[in-house]
Amino acid sequence: MATLQLNNIVKDFGGTQVIKGVDLEVKDREFVVFVGPSGCGKSTLMRMIAGLESATSGDILIDGERINDVGPADRGLAMVFQSYALYPHMSVEDNMGFSMRLAKVPTAERREKVLAAARILQLEELLDRKPRALSGGQRQRVAIGRAIVRNPSIFLFDEPLSNLDAALRVQMRIELARLHEELDATMIYVTHDQIEAMTMADKIVVLQGGVVEQIGSPMALYHHPANLFVAGFIGSPKMNFLDVEIRRADAEGVDVVLPGGDCRVPVEGDGVSIGDKLTLGIRPEHLKLDDQGALTGKILVIERLGGTTSLYLEKGDSQWILVADGDVTSRVHDQIRFSFDPACAHLLKGNGDALPHRHRHPLADIDRKENGGLSV
Amino acid sequence: MNTSKRWLPHTFKIALLTLLLLWTLIPIIWMVLSSFKSNDIITAGTPRVFFTPILEHYTSLFSSGNSLWPYLLNSLFIAGVSTLIAVVLGCMAGFGLSRIRIKGKQHLAFWIISTRMAPIAAVIVPLYLLFRYLYLLDTHAGLIVAYLSFNLPFAIWLMTAFFDDLPPDLEEAAMIDGATKLQAFRYVVLPLMTPGLVTTAILCFIFAWNDYAFAQTFSGPNTQTIPIAAAQLLTQTGIDWGKLLAIGTIVVCPMAIAGLLVKRWLVKGLTLGAVK
Repeated sequence: MATLQLNNIVKDFGGTQVIKGVDLEVKDREFVVFVGPSGCGKSTLMRMIAGLESATSGDILIDGERINDVGPADRGLAMVFQSYALYPHMSVEDNMGFSMRLAKVPTAERREKVLAAARILQLEELLDRKPRALSGGQRQRVAIGRAIVRNPSIFLFDEPLSNLDAALRVQMRIELARLHEELDATMIYVTHDQIEAMTMADKIVVLQGGVVEQIGSPMALYHHPANLFVAGFIGSPKMNFLDVEIRRADAEGVDVVLPGGDCRVPVEGDGVSIGDKLTLGIRPEHLKLDDQGALTGKILVIERLGGTTSLYLEKGDSQWILVADGDVTSRVHDQIRFSFDPACAHLLKGNGDALPHRHRHPLADIDRKENGGLSV
Repeated sequence: MNTSKRWLPHTFKIALLTLLLLWTLIPIIWMVLSSFKSNDIITAGTPRVFFTPILEHYTSLFSSGNSLWPYLLNSLFIAGVSTLIAVVLGCMAGFGLSRIRIKGKQHLAFWIISTRMAPIAAVIVPLYLLFRYLYLLDTHAGLIVAYLSFNLPFAIWLMTAFFDDLPPDLEEAAMIDGATKLQAFRYVVLPLMTPGLVTTAILCFIFAWNDYAFAQTFSGPNTQTIPIAAAQLLTQTGIDWGKLLAIGTIVVCPMAIAGLLVKRWLVKGLTLGAVK
């Protein structure tokens, strides 16, 4: 149970800055997910928290205490590696009990704690096996078990699910969420998969190029992306973008020019003026087929997923995606008309920053507890 | 259809392997067999496959005035100590070289192994002069140093490769589990390095055990090794083939067995399941 604070963290690898001044506050018992494309610095940031890399400058504080110069062994954290990093020459029991063996915990107590963790993770049958005799999912659970027995102040997960197949990944995702509920511990989780981030996080930290692009709850990032990168990165399929020009801007909203007539988007129009070029962003699931719709496009590809259908559209020289009902009858090469609710649209300035919405989405600020949580 | 297609190349493969096997084994088998033959049979015009084996060559090697024991002990001691030092230092240097992040690491590694590439003939005279100044001629230490000069770079290079194969995640996991760097090395890295250590040790030992040139140049009456003993049987009055073949057998057999053991220690088998 602990809090974590990062103050202006910088990491320099031989002249290249991979982390460029990151500030972050992690509350007690929070599930925080670092997400971003590969090379964004999310793993490096986690390794610095773990003590496996040193920070070039800035402060790392756990429970208010600066731990930059404390070794990984003494930070009281536990980490689950992407590769699991199980000790291949030790049995599952010895793997899980290794930290206690180092701490000279008596054998009986050690066994008891390992058994308790094994029970949570349904590993009791496997305690005598060597890692090579386990399946991927089982190895993953042993790695988590090894973290649990340490009773750490903070759990660190470095892309723990990326080596599992899709079905197992969904299952482990649920298990991790359940585990967070059960252990009620502070957890930091690194992934490049925005779905993992959306489904598990209390708070998502979106990183790109060593810079924090936005920090917020999954719904806040979805409904109120701060900039073009977050708008494009969060949400699946990706947000559609269109270059537009401002016709009018006032306190009520911003009018932009669209092919079928002007459209008023309810965002704060401060700092923009008539004639400015903006980017309009609209999510595929917010577009709807509409015979009277102002927008048109030609269907290139249809992906029928059963419940929903993704229509890939040719629109000018860009490609758009529209998520429609599962039973739409459109065909490839059809010319279709569609529209959207301007309240769902986003307007982004030339520098990538979003114009803030005038009304906050009601779900943007609820936390996990209010969301009903998962009861165990 | 598939089998008929592969039939010919398969036969060819077997034939080639048989040929290679015969090529390798016949001289060794001939040597071992002949070491149990009397000198008359060895030097007879027609080689004989069936004969009454005798142990005379072996017993005379170990009983006569000029017993083989001191040579054998010298060989074991010198090869053993030089191997031990090479493996211990090679292990530490290899670990460092594999894990540390410094500029020009590959160049450093290549420079180290390049010192192993010089032919023995090129270093033998400078070493001789050095050893004379340092009073290392005809000492065990001298030969140990001479073998180290070749075995250490080799051991470092080989161990670096073995450490490169071991994911650093494992040490990092141990350190997060509360281990110091040394504990992580002792409890996690070292047990997994056994195959690498054994392989390196055997290869280093073979080099020192088989060496003739260094031993011939740097050893004296107190430090002669087995290959020197063998050479001494080539005298002006003739060659004692029986004893020579017996020594040959004594030199080759332990190494052949050790060589077979190396095969068992493949790093893959042990690290399987560690990651992914």
